[in-house]
This record gives sequence, C-alpha cells and structure tokens, in this order.
Amino acid sequence: MLRFLFRRLLIAIPTLFVVVTLAFFMMRAAPGNPFIGERRLAPEVERNIMAKYGLDRPLPVQYADYVGGVLHGDFGPSLKYKNKSVLQIIREGFPKSLLLGSLAMTLAAVLGVSLGVLAALRQNKGADYFAMSLAILGVCIPTFVTAPLLVLLFASTLGVVPTAGWPAPTQSLATAWKYLILPVVVLSLPQIAIISRLIRAGMIEVMRSNYVRTARAKGLPESSVVLRHALRGAILPLVSYLGPATAGVITGSLVVEQIFQLPGIGKAFVTSALQRDYTVVMGVVILYAGLIMFLNLVADVLYAMLDPRVRLS
Amino acid sequence: MSRRLILAVATLGALLLTASCDSHGGRAPCPAGKLCLEYGNTTDPRSIDPALSSLVDEDHILGDLFTGLTQYDPASKPIPGIATSWDVSPDGLVWTFHLRKSKWSDGVDLTADDFVYSLRRLVDPKTAAEYANLLYVIKNAEAVNNGKLPITALGAEAPDPYTVRITLAHPAPYFLYIVTHEAMYPVPKHVVEKWGDKWIEPEHWVSNGAYKMTQFALGDRLHAVRNPYFYDAKSVCIDEINYYPTTDIVSAERRVKRGELDFNDSIESNRVAFLRRPDQMPAYVKVNTWLGTVYMPFNGKSQPAFRDVRVRQALTMAIDRDFISQKLERGVQPAANVLVPPGTAGYPGGAEPHWASWSLERRQAEARRLLAAAGYGPNHPLKVELTLSNLASTILVFTAVQADWKEVGVTATLAPEEGQIMYADFNARNFQVGSAGWIADYNDATTFLNLLRSNTGQQNYSDYSNPAFDALMDKADHEPDPIARGVDLAKAEHLALEDATIAPILHYVSKNLVNPQLTGWKPNLADWHRTRWVCFKGRRAPG
Amino acid sequence: MSTILAPGSREGAAAMQTAAIKGRSLWDDARRRLFRNKAAVTGMIVLATLVLLAIVGPYLAPFRFDQINKNDVWAEPLQAGHLLGADALGRDLLARLLIGLRVSLAVGVVATFVSLVIGVLWGSVAGYAGGRVDELMMRIVDILYSLPFIFFVILLMVTFGKNFILMFVAIGAVEWLTMARIVRGQTLSLKQREFIEAAQAAGLRRGAILLRHIVPNLLGPVVVYVTLTIPGVILAESFLSFLGLGVQEPMTSLGALISHGAQEMELAPWLLIFPSMVMVVTLMAFNFIGDGLRDAIDPKDR
Repeated sequence: MLRFLFRRLLIAIPTLFVVVTLAFFMMRAAPGNPFIGERRLAPEVERNIMAKYGLDRPLPVQYADYVGGVLHGDFGPSLKYKNKSVLQIIREGFPKSLLLGSLAMTLAAVLGVSLGVLAALRQNKGADYFAMSLAILGVCIPTFVTAPLLVLLFASTLGVVPTAGWPAPTQSLATAWKYLILPVVVLSLPQIAIISRLIRAGMIEVMRSNYVRTARAKGLPESSVVLRHALRGAILPLVSYLGPATAGVITGSLVVEQIFQLPGIGKAFVTSALQRDYTVVMGVVILYAGLIMFLNLVADVLYAMLDPRVRLS
Repeated sequence: MSRRLILAVATLGALLLTASCDSHGGRAPCPAGKLCLEYGNTTDPRSIDPALSSLVDEDHILGDLFTGLTQYDPASKPIPGIATSWDVSPDGLVWTFHLRKSKWSDGVDLTADDFVYSLRRLVDPKTAAEYANLLYVIKNAEAVNNGKLPITALGAEAPDPYTVRITLAHPAPYFLYIVTHEAMYPVPKHVVEKWGDKWIEPEHWVSNGAYKMTQFALGDRLHAVRNPYFYDAKSVCIDEINYYPTTDIVSAERRVKRGELDFNDSIESNRVAFLRRPDQMPAYVKVNTWLGTVYMPFNGKSQPAFRDVRVRQALTMAIDRDFISQKLERGVQPAANVLVPPGTAGYPGGAEPHWASWSLERRQAEARRLLAAAGYGPNHPLKVELTLSNLASTILVFTAVQADWKEVGVTATLAPEEGQIMYADFNARNFQVGSAGWIADYNDATTFLNLLRSNTGQQNYSDYSNPAFDALMDKADHEPDPIARGVDLAKAEHLALEDATIAPILHYVSKNLVNPQLTGWKPNLADWHRTRWVCFKGRRAPG
Repeated sequence: MSTILAPGSREGAAAMQTAAIKGRSLWDDARRRLFRNKAAVTGMIVLATLVLLAIVGPYLAPFRFDQINKNDVWAEPLQAGHLLGADALGRDLLARLLIGLRVSLAVGVVATFVSLVIGVLWGSVAGYAGGRVDELMMRIVDILYSLPFIFFVILLMVTFGKNFILMFVAIGAVEWLTMARIVRGQTLSLKQREFIEAAQAAGLRRGAILLRHIVPNLLGPVVVYVTLTIPGVILAESFLSFLGLGVQEPMTSLGALISHGAQEMELAPWLLIFPSMVMVVTLMAFNFIGDGLRDAIDPKDR
C-alpha cells in the first residue's frame, strides 16, 4: 500500500507541473490583457501597471517567478480585483463549492443507488423502464434548463425557497440551508442518472453470481441478500466512478453557481477566464487538477480495500 | 425498496412545505429595529479604492461610502458636499472651495490636505488611475500623469486647512460636474500612508461618506453600515446596505419580485414591456433617459472602403433604427441619429445629418446609389467585418443592422468578442466597423464630442481628423457665453455626422427595478441615486 | 467477439473457414439481439428521421434560418406562417431548429470522429508497443485526464477565438482520452491472442498488424463508445453556448437555442420547449441505441 501511494505521489508532482505550465502558456498566448478597458490610459501609466504586475518581463522569467511562488503557496495577485490575491479568492470560494459538491454527490449517491437497486430488482418490468427513462432524462436535459425551470416553480411561484444567492453570515442555520436546496438538487440530477445506471448494471451482474445464490440458498431473507451481499459487490464500479463524478460535479457547478449566483470557485473561474485574469485562472486550474488526482487516488485505494481480488500494482 | 423511496420523497416534500412557513423568505436578516437596503448592483467592484475605480457599478457603492467637495442630490444635480461654497475667478481658471469642519469615520478631522493628497494620488502615474484623464482639465495634470512633472506641480493646493484651490488649464463651465465625479473623492491620507495597498481591508477601512464598508466577499456581497461621523448623519435613514453582484439580470428581477432585493440597477431590455403588464410588477419599473449613445465607428485604416465618405454615409443611412428601437428593444431605447443625446445640459441639438428625416425606403435607395457611385455593386460587392461585444442583446441589435446592410448589397460578418478584447482591438485599430458605447462622464456635450477630436488618441476609434471640427471645438472651449458655446458645439457635431465618421444607433436609457416602498429615489438623467437620500415609506431618519 | 484471422497461414486458412461461418453467425447473433431490443430500434428510427430532417429540412422550410421578418417579432406558434413561432428578430423557429439540429449533429459526429481517430491510434499503439512507450503514452493520458475537460476547452476557446472548426477540434481533443484508455485495454488483451502471434510469425510488419488485425477487432466497444460519446459532445457544445463560447450568431445550435430560450421562458415559452424536446429526443435516441448495441454485443446484461 505504501509503495503504491508513494509511486502515485511521484507521478502526481510532474503531472501538476505540466498542468501549471500548460495553463500558464495558454493564458499568455491569448489575445488581450486584463488592463484594457474603455478608458484610455497614458502610456506612462500603462507601463507602470505592466511593471507592477511583472508583465513587462520576458515570458520565461515570469514563468519561473510564478512556479517559484506556487511552491511557497503564493499564487500571485488577482489582475482584475485589484486588492485581492488569488489565494484569498480561492480561500473564500473553494469551501462553498466544496460544500455544494459534497452535498450533491451525497444526494446523488443515495438516490442513485436506491433507484439503481430498484430498477435491478424489477428488471425489465415497468418500474425498471420508468426508472431508466428517468435516468436518461436526467442526463439529457442540460442543467441550465432544469435550473431556471425549478427556480420558476419553487422560488418564483411557490416561494418555498429563495431565488438565488448565498446565505448571509448572520443567518441562522434553519433559514440558511434553504439557499442550497435547489442548487444541490440541480447539480445532483445528472449524477443520479449515471449512478443509477451503473448500480443497476452492477446489481444485475452480481445478483446472478455464485455467492448471492449461496446466500439465498442459505435461506437468508431477500432484503438481507440484497443489502448486505449483493450491494457490496455492486458498489465497486461506483467507487471507480468517483473521479469522473467529481469532474462532472465540478463542471456542473460552473452552471449552477452562475444561475444561482453562488460565490464559489466555479463562477470565479468562468469570470476570470473571460476577463483574462490569468493568475486566478491558473490558481483554479491547479486546484482542480490536484483535487481530481487526489480523488482518483482515494478511489483506487478504496477499490482495493473493498475488493480483495484486486492487488494494487 | 420502493416503499422506502416513497417515504424519502414524502419526507423531503414535507420539509419543503414546512420551509414555506417562513416569514421573510430569502431576504437577508436585518438587525432588529434597523432599516436595511438590499441593493442589486450587477457586478463586483474591481476595487473600492476610488483612485482605482472607473465603472458605473463601482461608483454606486463608492458614492455611498465617500463624499466629495460636491455631491449629487436625488435629481443628480451637484450640491455642496464637504465644500459649503465656492468661488470662480473672473477668467474662469481658479476655483476656490471652502470646506466645512467634518471628520473621517475613525474620528480624525478631514482637511483640505486630504483633498490635495487625493488629487495628486490620482494623477500620479504610479497609481495607474483609469480616470486620470478626466482631471486633465486641471493645470499640469496631463504632464504629471505622463511622468513629465512631479505631482506637486498639479494645479491643486490647500492654502489653509479648510480651503482647496484648483487652477485649471483652460476655462471649463462644466467643471462642477467633474468635481462631483468619483475621481475627486478624498481618501484618508493618514490611513493610506500607513497601510498602503491594504488600506481598503475591512479592518483598516476609513471613509467620509454616509456609510462605511464592513465586509467585502467577492461574488457574494459588500456590506456597509451607517457612518456615525458623517457630517449629516442625522438625515440618513437607511442603516445598513448589502450590495449584491447580480450578474444574472433575469434572476435579479425574480429576486426583486419576491422581495429578496429592494432594487436592481438594470432590467433585460426586451422584458420591460412584460414587466409593465398589470399582473407583473409595473410599479417597480423605472425607465429614464440616460446620457449615453451606442455608435459604430468606421475604421478607414483597415478597410479602405471606409475612407470614402459616400460608403460611410450609405452604411449609416441604410440602418432601420426605428425597427431596432421599437420592435427589438420594445420601445425602451430611443433611436439615435446624433451622438450627443437630447437633454444634455446647455446643448441646443439639431445636429442631425440631412438624411435623418427621410423614410427608410428613400434612405436605402440613396445608399445603393452612393455605393454604386463609390464603385460597389452586384459585380463588386462590399464585404465588411463588424466587431461587437458578445452580449446577447448586442448581438441581437447588430444582427438587424447586418440584415439592413444586406438590403443595400453589403455583406457584413459579425465578429463578437468579450468586452475587453473588443476594446483592445478598438484601441489597436484592429477592426473594420465596430459597435461602441459611450456614457457621459459629466453632463455636457464635450464628453461626447471630445471623442472625435484629432488629438484624442486611442478613443477616437474612427481617427476622425477634421480641422474645421477641431477649430469649432477649440472655439467652444474658450467661449464664455453658454448659448454661443452650445451653437458652436452643435455645428461641430453636424460636421462630424455629415462626414458619417461614426453611425449613431441608439441612446441609452437607465432601467431600474425599484421597490415602490422606497422614497427619495427619483429617476434622473445621470442615474445617480445615493442611498443617503433613500428611505422606506412610513419610516424616517433619526433626525 | 469476432474472429477475423490472418490470411496466409495454413491453420489460418482452415480456421478461417470455420471462423468465417462462426464469425458471420456471431455478428448475426448480435444483430438479431439488437433488433429485438425495442428501445434500440425505436432509437434508430428516430435518429434516422432526425438526420433526414437535419440534412433536407432547411431546404424545405418556408423561411431561411437567418431571415429577419420585421413584423413577426415574438410570433406565437401557428401565427403568420411560423409553425413553431418566431424569436426576438422574427426569425422562424422551425427553420432555426432544423439548422440547429444539423449543427449539433455535425459537431457531435465530427468531434467524436476526431476523438475516435486520435484515441484509437494512440491507444492501440500504446497497448501494442507495451513497456516504456506504453507507460509514457498512458502517463500523458493521465496528466491530461486531470484537467477537467471544460477548463481546457474554455481555455482553448478563449485563447484562440471562437472559431467554428476550433470547437470541433477542442471538444474532440478532450474526448479522445477515454477512447484511448478503452482501446489500450482491448489491445492489451488482443495482443495475447493466437491469431496475432500467427500474424507475427508470418512476418507482418507491426504497423500492418496494428491496422489490419487489431483495429478491426476493436469495433465492438468502439462503436458502443461512439454512440454514447456523441450525446456527450452535443451536451458539451450546448454548455459552451450557455457560456457564450459556442456557435456564433446568426448560426445556431440546439444548445444555443435552448440557452436563449431559457432566458425568455415566461415571454416566449415555445423558444425553449421545442428546441429542448428535439435535443432530449436526439440524445435519448443515441443513448438507447448505444445501450442496445452494448447489450447486443456483450449479452451479459440481460
């Protein structure tokens, strides 16, 4: 186990390095710079701005400086928000996105597994087709359609949840959680769809296997057979789906944060990319790359722990 | 299994239903007994340091946090602020402001020194202030900003702690509007010198307006509370303000409808008619003329066809502005045949080009004739590229322009870009014809017409260079009689419009959603609505 | 799986005869299973109809998709000759929907094709070469995998402008990673099979083995993957349109129509309903076909 972890770490570092480099040079290759606006700047002033942010130095020097800074945890100042540093922006935004994502994944796992098991047990019957059609719908309707529809229904018409925004710091928990209901639901829908199909496929396969037959032959009650024996085996593909799932949730959060005006890191990324705020973009890309690698690692370790047939190479 | 699922769904449903028993819905909590204003402000401020700000949305906030020598009243007229009175020398060059005694929000006295310090800081090239060029009307400001003179050479001084004396480079009757502008807000010298760039952090924040900032979370909100040291704190009604960056206009509209916001500073153009329906929110919709114009500069440098005045005239003539204004924009934004919007102070108007009153058919026929005369026709079609911002509403408008040009045989391809990239391209003259917008910096025609002077530089996107135009502008600069001045300016504009160096399309309107329970909020030409004048019906300032 | 054998060897020749019969009947089996799957068949019929509409429709529509009808702004369905209504510029929704369908399908097919070519080549070379080359190639895949796709595409679109072609390339260049992994896995297992050994013994060059023997055997999972990737690409393009980075006006796609329609939900619901229906039906058709293919080729899931 330790050797496995060590080897993965060894791979992770150059990977992150490549990610940083790619992002850096891509952003620099883009036309425009963050300081152009409608107002004209005196040439002297423009020179000063470029100097202040070190943008007038040769590219390799900027790059070396940047990488050096990253190793110290300094991702530089935001080029657009003149008094915020990238680290500040990430520190403010990331926990919110994390909360959103975790809640969505939990909901997706719970509902997805339930739906998948249901469909597997009633395979090829009405409930199965219904559940699977629902699942396909969940994947085929984009989040930027479901979100406004749900907002229109639950927030504007029925008024049971707020329309948008993040709860104020002074808000009590009882009212604060309502701001998250719709975003979490919207974010989880595509994942519920995918997970339910995965579980269904896994369950169907497992239910036919020998050890389930043995459990049944032993006379165990069906619910026990399903929950304690079959489900364990069917869950495995879910664990290896963890990495792509996170990537999916991260992508989905871009839309959800935009529509619900949530101050997370996804919204910051889109805004910064469109505004050429290089430093913020790179900071977020590094963050997400690291997150995905970490979660893939966790998934692999979990998988190995759950399935004794697997040997970590 | 299915029973469990049903149970889970039922529980969730029950939870949601109980949630509806909440009284204030999604509105942020307000401390008991206080009045809070929930303000939708479209974007986050890039900085709350007045010297580093230049956007209208930023000024919404800064105008509540700072008070300059003069300030805007509810009708956006400049009235005394920190300065109680002022005199102008006979030659119009020296303005002397007399200050009242007042304090910063940390109790320190505010003196003339703070104002002079702030002005010098603004034109200092090291500050890289975007609005420095607004102050070029002050003596030596341009030279200082270009690094040619030290900041002490700026024509601003404090002969005593309560007098500010400003010397101008040339007479400017509209100077009072510049004085009211955010570029001239004072910053606390004692805080900025001590903390440098960190002076705007909440723990160090000091300002002199009706409010002071306590929290700024990007993408979330900016929180401001009443400033007890404000010189007129007794007349301020609202206690706390939350400014939200409401980037999604339609979502903001829904929040206003549900009472989660009291105000949003913009409305989606083609939803205005919908919101005005009796069953929607007609009382909230406040649409008013705003001093600004959308126009298309023609760049002869990259598209030789545009060097021919006939081509430019043809293109501007062929546009069906009425369709765009009435049908597309649903009558919200008026069509523009001139650059300087009607209603600008001291301006007689009447600068329209001679074809402005013709019917569309006549204009398009004339356009075809002009294009043919210039050598373009079915055998030699004119192809141009239109650079515009990638906002959906902008693309809509210019798709209509594209179709109008097609009618007269000109093929235009649309090249939408992010706002920033677009302006970078304009500045570098990397475009053929573009879609630009200009909002008045101050209520005078020169804020528009100065764009077309030959020595303006980057922002004269069409590189208009007409000695007759420049001469009229110079003459107007030194003309003491406001009426004669207005006539000169109108003559100059007429020249530029006959030359079709730019094609005006629409005038801006301000579109705001305002809670009808708010008092003190008056629609006005410049669209400034400082929160210190605002209150709720039935409530009053501590007095 | 199919058992195409290498020609030229004596065992091969004999085995080929039996295998040829066997091979045909294996594919036959799969085909039979596929056509028995009602959902998949429905999907195929629907998809064929949609493709037909996309190709021929715009020529038959009464209006051109970019034609502005100044008097028909916000026309409701069945008004003024607009079967499905009109948009903010009076443009016919039916015409725009057909063009949008064409664009979305084109993006889906082309981008998937790009990812197919890159992925198959990359994966099969890596799997077949093995050793250090394999390690290096798959490391690269791993590295690129940890850049969440959308960041990469946004960066590309923002860096190099909103070129229509570029979008195909950008999306395709991101989707090939999964394809490469699948293909590599398949190649690894195929590599051990006897007919490959036979081909090697017969002296065929590595490139020839790759192209003529390995690649055709990848058909099964690849086909399934393709039918399941196309909807993903269409969704990705719609997502880019939502962010303003997709197809540019006046050209339109299903995603662009939907994201504009979502804004005007209360004013002109038809602008959202019809494009959404078409997109959902298209994606569902692909999904049913893909599921059917997977079940048909690998019948474990019955």
